[in-house]
Amino acid sequence: MSTNLNDQRLDALFAQYRDACPEMEGSPDFMPGVWRRIEKRGSVAFLLPRLARLACAASVVICLVLAALVALPGLSTAHPSASAATYADALSADHSAEKTYYTESIRATDNLVPADYAR
Amino acid sequence: MLVEPDLIEKARQGDSGAFNQLVAAYRKRILGTISRLIGRPEDVEDVAQEVFVRLYYSLDQLRTPEVFEPWLYRLSVNACYDYLRRLRRRGEYRMADLSEQQVLMADSSASGKRSDEDAEKVRLREFVEALFRHVSEEDRLLLTLKEVEGLSLKELEKVYRVNENALKVRLFRARQRVLKAFQAAREDGKL
Repeated sequence: MSTNLNDQRLDALFAQYRDACPEMEGSPDFMPGVWRRIEKRGSVAFLLPRLARLACAASVVICLVLAALVALPGLSTAHPSASAATYADALSADHSAEKTYYTESIRATDNLVPADYAR
Repeated sequence: MLVEPDLIEKARQGDSGAFNQLVAAYRKRILGTISRLIGRPEDVEDVAQEVFVRLYYSLDQLRTPEVFEPWLYRLSVNACYDYLRRLRRRGEYRMADLSEQQVLMADSSASGKRSDEDAEKVRLREFVEALFRHVSEEDRLLLTLKEVEGLSLKELEKVYRVNENALKVRLFRARQRVLKAFQAAREDGKL
């Protein structure tokens, strides 16, 4: 009951507050001021900092996208062995590279043997 | 609505005369609303000009003239938020924090013209602003739009683009806090 009464008193207070607030007309320079701002905002001087801000925002977005590409394993283009659990796993997964080095080193050794020694 | 939909349509198509008429029609209302939302009379005109500049540049996004008023209120609320954020960043405070009564006393001692009626209005404003300090800035703006400006929940829904039930909950909580402060002030004999 008393809450309802206080509610009504608060409503009355808000109404009194509305009436107590001064009416504002604005200065005679209000409308010319609005047009000055509109023209200023449309000019290059206003556009340049805006473009700069846009460029900054775009570069931040690009950085975030690139960071996400590097960080997310599914999206990463790194070697599959990079995601192996241990260093030993990575080594055992890297068959192709091992074979290549081994074969290449044998071939290189073959070519280095002098002809007369080989005979 | 204070203007005909045709006038809004003309302004939307870039008719500067129509835009001037639009500003003239809504100037007083927007100045009053902003004055109650930001509580710093010296900056009201600046914020109101910003609202109309934003209106000029966003009129082409207005779908129908029927939603013009909520649109304008939305621009006003956003401009007030931006202003209050700038103020906070600069570490300044609202005029009410400096005690309006002190400002009044300084004024009256200088001019000797301020009447008792004006003093009572100032005291009332200061009291309500002190009550509003018990809620967040966002809730104060919402409560002012509902309780002082008299916007309906449907209108507020369009202004805030938030579900009516969510608004009801926010308004209820804010009003309860203000009511509690009001009761406490009455018990202390401040009113």
